[in-house]
Amino acid sequence: MSAPSGLALVAAAPLVEDGVELRFALRPGDRAFVVPGEPVAAGAPIAGRLRDPRTEVLPARASVPDTARPGDRWTAGPGRGADPDAPEGELLFASGRRWRVAGGEHVETLEAPVAGVVTAVVAGSEIRIATGARAIRGRELIGGTTTGRLEVISPRDGEVRATDLDVDLAGAIVVVGARIDAEAITRARAVGIRGIVVATLGTRERRDALATDERGRAAVHGLPPFAILVLEGAVRLPIGASTMAVLDALEGRTVALVPEPAALVVDAPSLALPAPDPTVVRIRSGPWAGLEGAFAGLAGPRRVDRGVIVETAWVRIGDRPPVAVALGDLDRRIAR
Amino acid sequence: MTAATPRLLLAIDRGAATTSVAILGRPATTWRVLGTLAAPAAVEPGTLASTIATRIVAADAGLATSLGLRPDAVDDLPRLEARSRPPSTLAIVAGSRRTADLLASSAARTPWRSRIASPETHDPREMTELVLDAGVSAILLGSGDPAGPDERAALDDLAALVTAAARRRPGLDVVVAGAIRTRRALGGLREREGAGRLVEVPAARRRGGWDDPIRDALASLIADPSDARTAMPLALGSLAEVTDRRMSLVEVGYDGGLLAWAVPPPASAPAGAAAAVRSVHSAAGELVAPQTIPEDVDAVMAWTIGEHDRHRLTDRLRELRGAPWADLSGPGVRLRLAAARAAILRLRRVAVGLEPDEPADIVLVAGGAFAAGPPAATALAVIDTTRRPGTVALAWDAARLLAPLGTIADPVERRTLVADLADDLLVPLGSAIVAATAGATRDAGSPGRHPVGRLQVDGPDGGTILDLVPGDLSIVDLPPGRVAAATIVTDEGIGLVRRARRATVTVNGGVAGLVVDLRPVPLRLPDRRDRRRSTIAAWDAITWPEEVP
Repeated sequence: MSAPSGLALVAAAPLVEDGVELRFALRPGDRAFVVPGEPVAAGAPIAGRLRDPRTEVLPARASVPDTARPGDRWTAGPGRGADPDAPEGELLFASGRRWRVAGGEHVETLEAPVAGVVTAVVAGSEIRIATGARAIRGRELIGGTTTGRLEVISPRDGEVRATDLDVDLAGAIVVVGARIDAEAITRARAVGIRGIVVATLGTRERRDALATDERGRAAVHGLPPFAILVLEGAVRLPIGASTMAVLDALEGRTVALVPEPAALVVDAPSLALPAPDPTVVRIRSGPWAGLEGAFAGLAGPRRVDRGVIVETAWVRIGDRPPVAVALGDLDRRIAR
Repeated sequence: MTAATPRLLLAIDRGAATTSVAILGRPATTWRVLGTLAAPAAVEPGTLASTIATRIVAADAGLATSLGLRPDAVDDLPRLEARSRPPSTLAIVAGSRRTADLLASSAARTPWRSRIASPETHDPREMTELVLDAGVSAILLGSGDPAGPDERAALDDLAALVTAAARRRPGLDVVVAGAIRTRRALGGLREREGAGRLVEVPAARRRGGWDDPIRDALASLIADPSDARTAMPLALGSLAEVTDRRMSLVEVGYDGGLLAWAVPPPASAPAGAAAAVRSVHSAAGELVAPQTIPEDVDAVMAWTIGEHDRHRLTDRLRELRGAPWADLSGPGVRLRLAAARAAILRLRRVAVGLEPDEPADIVLVAGGAFAAGPPAATALAVIDTTRRPGTVALAWDAARLLAPLGTIADPVERRTLVADLADDLLVPLGSAIVAATAGATRDAGSPGRHPVGRLQVDGPDGGTILDLVPGDLSIVDLPPGRVAAATIVTDEGIGLVRRARRATVTVNGGVAGLVVDLRPVPLRLPDRRDRRRSTIAAWDAITWPEEVP
C-alpha cells in the first residue's frame, strides 16, 4: 500500500545506521597507539589520554634532534647526558631555543568500543575508526566512551528513581525512559552503572552531570567510565516506540555509548532488528506531545493558536478520529 | 539565468533549519509568485516543489497547463538556489585578553564563531589544543602595532605556537594582524605547504568602522556568493533601486543573523547606477546559540511573560535549538519572538557605529524566527529593537525569496526580476509611527495619563482619530494597499524626525496595520519583573489576535 501523499514533508531520520565512523578526540600530550589502516578489535587500547596534561619547558641542555617536529614524541632516553628530571611528552613548539612539551603523569587508556579499522590519526587532535557497528544516534552524549551490557529498566515513557537502581546493575548501560533526575544519576554512578540512555535531560540535571564529569576527569585517580546518552532533548518526551523496540531487541548485549557521533553502538551487523513503520509519525509538542500515530495526509494551512497559521497534517492516533497537527511537530524514523 | 527564456522558475532557500521553495511563473510578460511552501531542512526541495505544483494544478489547471507546470517534472525546472553556509569556528590568539577582545570585536561582525585564547586564560598546551581542534577552520593571531606592554613578552611564543600548530594542519587558514607579523617564527608559516591561506593585515583598531581589514580578511576566507546572507543584501539593493526607497533588512535565523542597508542611487546618477549596499552578517544574530549561556537566557527572559524559572526557560531554548520547527503554538511563537528580540539587540550591539545616520523608509523582516508570528507581533518585535523616531514602512520576506533572487549575478537581470516580483515579493506588515513625547516617563511601564495630542488618519469613511498618550502603544486598522495621510497635532511638540507641534506623514497599510508607538526612545523595560511582565502582557494584548472560540 503506498504511503499517503505528503508523508515526505515530515522530517525523517534513520532509526539505525549500519556502519559508522567514530571519532575520538585527542589533546596535545595524548598518545595514539594505532596507525591509519590498522584493524582494531573491541577492547583494544587505541590511545593513552592524560588526565593531568600540562605544559613543560625542556631544559636548554635537553637534546632534541634537529629533525624533531611539533607533534613528535619526546622522551629523555638513557645516556647522552640524559636529565632524569626532563619531562617527556609531545613536542609543541620551540621558542627562545627551548621546546615546549605537553606532558603529564597520569594516563588513562582509551579502548576501542567496537571493532573497526583506523582511518585517521592526527596527533593532538583525533583518531577516527570506521566500523561496521550499528548506531542509534542521540542528541547529545555527556561523558566519555563507555561499554556495558544493555538493560531496559523502564517503559519508554517512564521515569526511574534512585531507589530503582542497585548494585545488580553494576556494569550495565541502562535504558531509563523519558527522564531521570540528578539523584538517580548520582546513584547510578555510585552502584557502578556504566551508562544511561534517556529520552530527555533537563538543564539542571545536565549541568550537574557535566560538572561531575569535569571533576572526575581532573581527579587524581579518575572515575570509572560513565556516560549519558540523551536521545531527544531537554523537554520531556518518551523514547520513540520504534527506538524502544530496537533497544528491547538489544537487551543483554554488550553495547557502547560514544561521543562522536553521540550514539549507542553495537557490534552486531547481522542481527535482525525491528524495522520502523515509515508511516508512523511522532508528535513532539502540543496537546498530543509524546503520542504516535499514523500519518493520514496533509491538512493544509490551519490556525493552531491565536494568529498562528501553520501547515498541518492529519494524524490518526489509536482509534480516535484524525487530528490536525503542525507539520513541524512531527517526525518519523525510517530504515536506512 | 536569462529571464526572457523560461516561463517557470524554482526559487530555493536551503537554510540550516528550513527549506523554502517558491514556484515563479511568467503567464504573460511579467514574473509572478505562483506558490510557496516551507518545511524542516531535512525535507528535499523537490518534495516541496511537487506539493506546490499539485496545489497550483488543483487551484487553476488552465494556468498550470499554459505554463507547462507538472508536479512530476519539477526537478527539471531551472532554479535559483541559496544555501545557508554552516558556521565556521575561528580561534583568536593574542598576547593579552585586551588585544584578544579587540580582535573578537572585528570577528563578531562576520559569520565566524570565535573561541578566544590569551596567556591570561590558556597555557601553551591549551592554546595548541584549541588550534588543533578539528572544528576550528581558521586562526586569527594578532597584536597591537606597536605591541602593548601587556602582550609584548608573549609574542615570540605565540608566533612559534601558531606556526607549529598550523604546520600540523596544512589546510588551516591563518590571519595575522599587527606588529606580530614581524616575528621571525612566522617565517615557517609563510613557507608552509598545503591549502591553508595566510593573510596579513594591520592591527585591530578600537571602535572600528566599515574600514576594517581584519573583518574583511575574515569575511574573504568564507565568501560564498550562493550563501543566503551574502545574497540577501544584493537583492535588497535591487529592491532599493526598483522602489527608489531607503531599505533596511533585519534577519534572524538558526545559525546567524543579518543587518543590511541599501540606499538607492541619487537622482543625478546615470541610468542603471547601483544602490549602495552594506551589511553585517554575524553569528551573534542566531536565534539560539548551540550552547546557551546565562546571559543569553536572561536576555530572552526579559521579553517573556510566561516563564518564571530560568532552568525551564533554558530547557525550552535548548529544545528550540534542537527542534527549531517544533512547538509553533502561541507559547512557542512567543518564545521565538522573545529570542528574536534578544538576537536583534545582539546584532545591533555588534553593528554599533555601522548603521547609517539616516533612517530607512522601509524595514524588511526575514528569517525563520518570524515565520509563524501574528503580523502585529512580528512588527512589534522589530519596532521594540529598532527605536528611531519617525515613520517607517514594515514588510516581511514571507516567501524567503530575497536570498535566491540575490544569487543572480547579473545586476540588470536581478533588478528586472525583482521589479516584476515587487508586489508579490514581500508581505506588507504596515507602518509604524515612533514618536518621542515630552511626557514619556523613564520606563515603558508607566504610560502618562493625559493625552498630549491627537492623531488623525485619513480614510474613505472619515478616517480614524486617536488620542496620543505618552507611553501608549496603539494599532490603527489600515489594510494592505491603503496609503493614507496621518496628521499629528500636539500642544507640547512631538519628536518624529524633528520636534514639531503638527506633522503630516504618509503611511502604508498592511496586515498588521499602523502601529502608533509613543513609548520611550530608547525603550526601557521596568526593572521589576512583575511590572515588566505586566507591561509586556499589555502590549501582547494589543498585538495578538483575540482567542477564536
